[in-house]
Amino acid sequence: MRRYMAGQVVSAGRIRRKPPARETPDIPYSANEKAGQNLTGWRFNLLGILFLLAGAMIIIQLVRLQFSPERSEFVSQGELYSRTLHIFYPPRGDIYDRWGRLLAGSTLVYEVGAQVDNVENADTISFAISKVLSGHPEYDYPEYSDEIFSVIHRAEISGTAYVQLADFVTPEELAQLQDWARNYANLPDVDYGEAGRPSLDGLVYRPRLQRYYPENELGANVLGFVNREGTGMFGVEAEFNDLLAGAPLSVWMSLDPYQVTEIPQLKSGADLVLTIDREIQAAAEDVLNNALEESGADGGVILVMDPNTGEMLAIASTPRLNPNEYWNYANVFTDNTPYNRAVSQDYEPGSVFKVLTMAAALDDGAVTPDTEFVDTGSIQLGGITIRNWDWGAWGPQNMQGCLSHSLNVCLTWVATELGAGQFYRYMQNFGFGRTTGMDLAGEAPGRLKLPGDTDWFEAELGTNSFGQGIAVTPIQMVMAISSVANGKGEMMMPHVMRSMVRDGFQYTPTPQVIGKPISAETAHTLTELLARSLEGESSDALIDGYRVAGKTGTAEIATPTGYSTSETNASFVGWGPVDNPRFLVYVWLEKPQSSPWGSIVAAPVFADMVERLVVLMDIPPDGVLQGLADH
Amino acid sequence: MENIKKLTQAYEQAPWRRQMYMIGVILLILVSAAIIAGIYLNVTARAAAVGRQIQEMQVRVYGYHYLTSDAGEVTVPIEELEQRIANLTSQLAILTSYKVMQERVKDLNLDPIEADHIEYIEVPGYIERQTTSLAPPPEPVVVNASAIDPQFKESLFEWVADQVQRTARYFSEVRP
Repeated sequence: MRRYMAGQVVSAGRIRRKPPARETPDIPYSANEKAGQNLTGWRFNLLGILFLLAGAMIIIQLVRLQFSPERSEFVSQGELYSRTLHIFYPPRGDIYDRWGRLLAGSTLVYEVGAQVDNVENADTISFAISKVLSGHPEYDYPEYSDEIFSVIHRAEISGTAYVQLADFVTPEELAQLQDWARNYANLPDVDYGEAGRPSLDGLVYRPRLQRYYPENELGANVLGFVNREGTGMFGVEAEFNDLLAGAPLSVWMSLDPYQVTEIPQLKSGADLVLTIDREIQAAAEDVLNNALEESGADGGVILVMDPNTGEMLAIASTPRLNPNEYWNYANVFTDNTPYNRAVSQDYEPGSVFKVLTMAAALDDGAVTPDTEFVDTGSIQLGGITIRNWDWGAWGPQNMQGCLSHSLNVCLTWVATELGAGQFYRYMQNFGFGRTTGMDLAGEAPGRLKLPGDTDWFEAELGTNSFGQGIAVTPIQMVMAISSVANGKGEMMMPHVMRSMVRDGFQYTPTPQVIGKPISAETAHTLTELLARSLEGESSDALIDGYRVAGKTGTAEIATPTGYSTSETNASFVGWGPVDNPRFLVYVWLEKPQSSPWGSIVAAPVFADMVERLVVLMDIPPDGVLQGLADH
Repeated sequence: MENIKKLTQAYEQAPWRRQMYMIGVILLILVSAAIIAGIYLNVTARAAAVGRQIQEMQVRVYGYHYLTSDAGEVTVPIEELEQRIANLTSQLAILTSYKVMQERVKDLNLDPIEADHIEYIEVPGYIERQTTSLAPPPEPVVVNASAIDPQFKESLFEWVADQVQRTARYFSEVRP
């Protein structure tokens, strides 16, 4: 080993020369330096080992946790705190009348609740809410204030974060609560004693949409309503509930601001455009209300249909419920009264049914308009004697006479000429004994007893021919008679949904022909017979300037002890103008008190309705049309 | 060999220069890392802030509002606007409802017209009132019956004309 001592003179080149690799310089260290160096090295090593151990333990623990039985619990807990589940409900679709007037929309309401941890004074909250909501029908009771207090108190004890205190709060009520809250917040900071500082802190609200019917009772029997749970009940709301409500979406919303979850673009519920005309509906309801008042009837129905398409222009039925106050349902519909009599209540229609018996017989060729029948006042069929409404004998009559005088005996004879097989085949073709398939919820099928049924007797043929012993709904009658009224023999499906707006497009289904039970010729012949019948009888159903066809009906009501002679169903079915039918009107009054006869109580109702209808539908009088045609 | 070593030594950097070089490199790495970290922090902080902003707006849609919160906020989520629109539509429907309109008719001393008071006149070309149309009808599905793709049938001239038209359409669409 070579050393260069201080003061030794060497050449520069030699000093710079790198020593051979194998030669390790011997650096002199003192004993203390060496000891210190060892100590430091030991400490560093220890520290390094500790860190290594800590790291290793962390890694081992991480691996252990991955395979531990509690893993799933930890994962679920982590997920619980990292995101929240929200269900988004799309806004319910609107319902319009045929001209685009809103019949069912949405309005803002609020849910009011308390975030329990932030509540400063539960007394103030319960007092304020009970006072502000005192005009609210659901919360207008004396114990409501105490209930709110106890709900908050219980939530505080149980550690519940949020409790709902009121729902369906209107914007006006919420504004009042906000005023109260601001006033309390501005109170001076003084000692308020044991009661504490009045405050509405902790009270929160959340807006949402609620179904709203701007027309209130108008068309309520057609629309139905949406209940507290958001489900459509009765009418269009129930029938098209899935379409109107749309599909709710459940989404886990991340709480991590780096992973913000987008609120999904909800497919809102479809909008519906109905065939109903608001003005005609209002007129029908007004006419029906007047008729009930004048006749003292228990209830009634007025249907207005376009017989060419099956579109229902108005469906008026009693009683009516304001769908904005659906909680009154049980008070309005007592004694199993159906929500819409037109589709849900079957009854024995009486002589209006003769239109269909005659249609079947004319179409089959069993009779012609000139066929003569000598009415002796009674006819025997199936062991029973059938008589006319006035128990009189009307002598020789043609078919027009039979219809004009509404002769039960004649129509029974017509039915026997047709034969039971053909008669019931026609009635089935007219759609009786089954639902029409109309797009309103809760339709009743009625009852048509057929030969071969255990409760069918031969006499049924006779009674059925004039509308007794058969159960039909008004909508079934309207559908069947549409085949006569439109002059084409085509029976149109009655419907209230004209079109549907979904995904930015308006879908309009074409009117459906259910069948063609009679020929166009039969329809024309029968319409002419019925028009002349009304004119011959100077019926109360006639309207100046317009030629209409129609038939009255008076049916006895079946009771457990037989048919009641004092209580009747009074009906009228008519259509017009005869040359170019635009409307078919069906009137049914249940148990009228002023008179039992359809010709007296129901026919004027038809006339009243048609007088308004021709104005609302812009139908010129026959004379004007004739003049224009001649011109 | 010795000559090579001498030559290398002659051009070798001085130790202090090499040290400075190393320090420079390390500093450059550190500064670069700091800049990247700064940019990352800035971007992530802004992302977090925007994320929180979005979450707050979402809470307005499905969350709860304090009674004393400011109602006149400028930024309103679409869902809340839709709720307000639905509410206003209903309010408008109330104002034009049948009952309200009848009351207005009464206030104006107007009577409903009766059938025998109407005078009808012939108007050539008159189109009667049409039922409401809230949206266009669905577009008809056009099924191309031809089995041969049009691209195989068009001439060069047609192709050029088509391209020119497409380009012109493109520029006309992007125009503000």
